[in-house]
Amino acid sequence: MVVFNFTLSEDGVAVLHDALACMFKFSDDVCLEARKDKLTLTTLNISKSAYVCYSFAANRFFSRYSFEGTPQQRDKFSCQLYIKSLLTIFRARQSGGASESRDGTSSIERCDVAIDDGDGKKSRLVARVSFRNGITASHSLPYEVKAPVHAKFNKEEASNHWTISSKTLRQLMDHFGPGIELLDINTNEDNRVVNFTCFTEKVQKRSGNDGEGNHHIVLMAITATDRYIVLKKPLHTNIAVEMDEFDDVEVEDKLHIIISVKDFRAILQHAQITSGELVTTYSNPGRPMKLSYGADGILCEFILMTIGEKDAMSQKHKAPRSSAAKAAAAPAQLDAASYRANSGTNSTNPQPIASNTAPKAKPSQHQSQDQSRHPGFEIRPQNPPPGTSRSTRSDSLFVGQYDDDQQWEPVNPEEEEEEEDNARLEWNTNSEPVRVVWS
Amino acid sequence: MRFKTDLKNIRTFSKLTAALNSLEKIAWMRLDDDTVRLTVIPATGSQVWASLSVDLIFENYQLQSNEANNTINLELPLQPLQRALKSASGSHHANLRLTKRDGAPMLSMTIHTTTKDTSSGPGGGLPSRSGGATRHNDDAWAADDSEIFHPESLELQMKRDREKVITQDIPVRVLHPETVETIMQPRVREADVHIQMPPLLQLKAISDRFTKLALTAASSTSSATADKTPKLELQANMHGSLRLRLHTDALDITSTWNDLTHPDLDPNELTMPIEEHPSTLFKQAGPEKWATVRVDGRDWSRVLSVGRLEGRVIGCFADDHALILYVYVPHHVDGGIGSDVVTYYVSSFSP
Repeated sequence: MVVFNFTLSEDGVAVLHDALACMFKFSDDVCLEARKDKLTLTTLNISKSAYVCYSFAANRFFSRYSFEGTPQQRDKFSCQLYIKSLLTIFRARQSGGASESRDGTSSIERCDVAIDDGDGKKSRLVARVSFRNGITASHSLPYEVKAPVHAKFNKEEASNHWTISSKTLRQLMDHFGPGIELLDINTNEDNRVVNFTCFTEKVQKRSGNDGEGNHHIVLMAITATDRYIVLKKPLHTNIAVEMDEFDDVEVEDKLHIIISVKDFRAILQHAQITSGELVTTYSNPGRPMKLSYGADGILCEFILMTIGEKDAMSQKHKAPRSSAAKAAAAPAQLDAASYRANSGTNSTNPQPIASNTAPKAKPSQHQSQDQSRHPGFEIRPQNPPPGTSRSTRSDSLFVGQYDDDQQWEPVNPEEEEEEEDNARLEWNTNSEPVRVVWS
Repeated sequence: MRFKTDLKNIRTFSKLTAALNSLEKIAWMRLDDDTVRLTVIPATGSQVWASLSVDLIFENYQLQSNEANNTINLELPLQPLQRALKSASGSHHANLRLTKRDGAPMLSMTIHTTTKDTSSGPGGGLPSRSGGATRHNDDAWAADDSEIFHPESLELQMKRDREKVITQDIPVRVLHPETVETIMQPRVREADVHIQMPPLLQLKAISDRFTKLALTAASSTSSATADKTPKLELQANMHGSLRLRLHTDALDITSTWNDLTHPDLDPNELTMPIEEHPSTLFKQAGPEKWATVRVDGRDWSRVLSVGRLEGRVIGCFADDHALILYVYVPHHVDGGIGSDVVTYYVSSFSP
């Protein structure tokens, strides 16, 4: 029996794909939660420091949406799937030019998705993608029936907030150099500015194959290592944005709030193609920060754990943590699940499921030990997920957009081979060349 | 010790930095009243001495030091500098000063810039903005315009954001004069051939091709102890020709450029009568008299990276000894060739 089904237009497929691609930067799997009035996608990253939640309104976002439920799950149905498989299904076939793909052969016309479940049936998500050329591709994905974990965010507590154009912020991120990990957002009432400061305490690793033995160039008087360390600090960047540029800004003066640059970049990348305005709400260091933006029928929310001041301090000084400091340090993870009362005020915040509390409680207990070692955010692998680069319409976050002088780069045969490997990945399974579409 | 300046010709500065960065990560920067000198000396490979007049890349230049001749010597990483300059490109105004942060010396670049809030992509509607913010915007521009005239683009018709102030701090080390006084610019004997090089983009494309070929050839013949440093042979005569040659066991290929020009030597600069100068002798010996140098393919590719400066390049060949490239940094403003020269010292390998 069909638990729920929906139909997406071509644009709907693209939007869903972009959302999943962004989510994939945080986690490998996604929880689908369907109700009568909306479909919610959520995920929590592995270090439990970032939570992503998208809500798609049943009557606005979908061409058709119907929820039947099951005898056990009458009001809502939830299951977990791999993001990667969903990305493959919803990937638009971008062969040929833009005009060709519109009226041409292989663009997606619509996509029907249904969850089929029940006694004696295999639990499957069935997606039927209809292309303009008349071909229909059916995909059947197994899923796990699983209640989602929702992060708690206390709106009352979070008194600091600002809103700004996501495009502006995204462009500003281009000024941050490589090798940075943390973003410190702080304000200065005297100058009426909000500062975005990027820094890292780690000494930058030298990349490239010409590194060894190269660093003792000019000078001899001082040992190579000394100079090496000093000069290998990455660029320290601060961007001051006048408060007038923000809408609805209200922030405690001199408050420093620190988050992971990588998470922030991932969010902005998606925000700028989705919406004009990014709304940010937070309270104190070591407490969660919420970033949200929306478009017609979609609400995207991210809850990031900020780094506690003590965490940052201990990181900075590399001092062994005393147990007292450990206790005092703010938890670097989001509080998971079962805090129903606190999230109640926010209607878009999906409600946690009581039955979920028990299994979730266990991991978070032994996580508390990890947390002393990783007060902040774990550094995730840098490989971009397959599919994201071609789906995101502007990738200039990661690509130098100023000078097109690749031709002057020194020859490097090894590197070139790598590039060729990557280039091969640009061919999708249909052996059609996939072009990256620049906007 | 004090150093503070506004930046101009950021593009040129940025391109120079990129060219140097391809050879070495850390540079020595020497500042005095008239000249900015940037030097990189890789452990292996070619060294570069760039000497620019202060006016080329700086304005409102202030320098104060206790050293003789009012000089400051800094050691700085090129990649962060390049990154900061990239950030500054397209800005309204940028300055650079020597300062300290947490006790550590820094070259701090302050950049005044705006973002372009162009609408693109779905859902990219411009954010609604209060009238007040827009009005402030206009005021800021009015104030700016009274002093400086920026090239205006069509974007002005769209909503302009307010100015952002970006600070990029580049870690540096301040060097003692004694540390650097022993570092001398190489001395090379009088060149046998001096010739204006063909467009470096051509030369680089072919050189890189040859280098890759050499590597492929080396890896396919299993017997050879994989030569990871393919050598290219460069030859020039005093009759307008330059040859690039790759010679391995398996193949022998040559590209030749003809009708190149030879700049005239200034007799006042010479230590010998011009009739006795090696280049005169080479010219008399006819077009089959070649001056030859052998260069490492990878290093040569890094050297040719200087082509991005789009300057005139003179190659001075000392047969079987060295090749010196003089890259004259073009002045986009006054069009003339000044004293701004980037000099590459490429040694020749023995055959």
